[in-house]
Amino acid sequence: MSSATPSPVPSSAHGHHKRHSILPAVSQSGPKPPVQFSSSCTIADSALLTGPHTIIVSTESVIHPRARLESLGGRVTVGRRCIVHERACLGAADLQGRYHKGSPDKEGRSMGAVTLGDYVTVEVGAQVESGGTVIGEGTTVGIGTRVGAGAVVGKHCTLTANSTVAAGEVIPDYTVIYSNGLRRIDRRGVSELKNKAQARQIDVLRRMIPSNPGKFQ
Amino acid sequence: MSRRPPRGEYIETDTGNKVARKATLVGTQNIMLGGKTVIQPDVMIRGDLARTIPPAQSASGGPANNTAVAIGRYCFLSRGCCLRPPGRMYKGVFTFMPLRLGDHVFVGPGTVVQAAQIGNHVHIGGKVVIGEFAIIKDYVKVLDGSVVPPNMVIPSFSIVAGQPARIIGEIPEGGIEAFELRDLYKTVGNNPQPTAP
Repeated sequence: MSSATPSPVPSSAHGHHKRHSILPAVSQSGPKPPVQFSSSCTIADSALLTGPHTIIVSTESVIHPRARLESLGGRVTVGRRCIVHERACLGAADLQGRYHKGSPDKEGRSMGAVTLGDYVTVEVGAQVESGGTVIGEGTTVGIGTRVGAGAVVGKHCTLTANSTVAAGEVIPDYTVIYSNGLRRIDRRGVSELKNKAQARQIDVLRRMIPSNPGKFQ
Repeated sequence: MSRRPPRGEYIETDTGNKVARKATLVGTQNIMLGGKTVIQPDVMIRGDLARTIPPAQSASGGPANNTAVAIGRYCFLSRGCCLRPPGRMYKGVFTFMPLRLGDHVFVGPGTVVQAAQIGNHVHIGGKVVIGEFAIIKDYVKVLDGSVVPPNMVIPSFSIVAGQPARIIGEIPEGGIEAFELRDLYKTVGNNPQPTAP
């Protein structure tokens, strides 16, 4: 090897250190959004944040690797102690590829793209479309579920895997959507316990997922 | 003028694993591959979600086994699928538990697996969701789009489908040859072989 030039190590070259993960480079397309992170939130390095509007992540929330937060349709707000799993997308385009803007509320303030309440779980590959979409406290959005633009999901709902909520739909509190669209009301009264379990899970995840909020600021 | 030979789409290991460069493996130190396993592009395996509390009755003296995802031989993980260990509350603390796949397990594209255990010779279709702590025994076929609920136990030789998944049939006698994945293994990689006629 010539000693004149320091040998350039391509970023893709790997070898000298023991690798703990193979994570292909994340393509950071589009503008870097303004962010407001709580100091206690956990955001994985390979999460994807795009869009021109503000992205807010509140206290003790966890954003898994490869989760997408897109603020192309407006502000994205993640409440306290939320978990956004890998490949989930907040502020997604609808099936036609359009990013909806939320209609302003009575005082004329913008509703933003997506608002998650506290203790919300968004599972693997779920899509929450932009356009004033609200997910209430303690609600679980199941694996691969799509919540349409402007839908308002109540508190402590369970949207099971691969279900859909139509655009603009209003789901009352404690609703369970299951089996391809059937609905019932959850009367178990375990929402307090679920919130406690969520806090425990976050305690564990915070130790497991290396957080790198500085990358997005 | 690269010193190394042109890089193929896959990394092929000594034990015959074919891992796509575009696969996302998080926490590789906790992922065990049995050999001859194919991992296609855009597959995600969450090895970082290892168990936080040690197993109750561990063999004394043995090194701490912290495997989060164990995969057997001749498994085939199709494009876009995701394997992640299941997690739950146990004795007042939240912990993840290991996810174990047997041999000759096919996982279809876009499928999410959060099972506790999957046996040998299991075919899981595309866009399937396997709920947390489900147990799938040997020679099971899960049809496309099924949603296997959490904690479901699927007995051997079953065919399951639906949302939520139910047992809709049995594997016919002589139908177990179709679960063999050796030929499929040869058709991918950096030097793919044509399928046998």
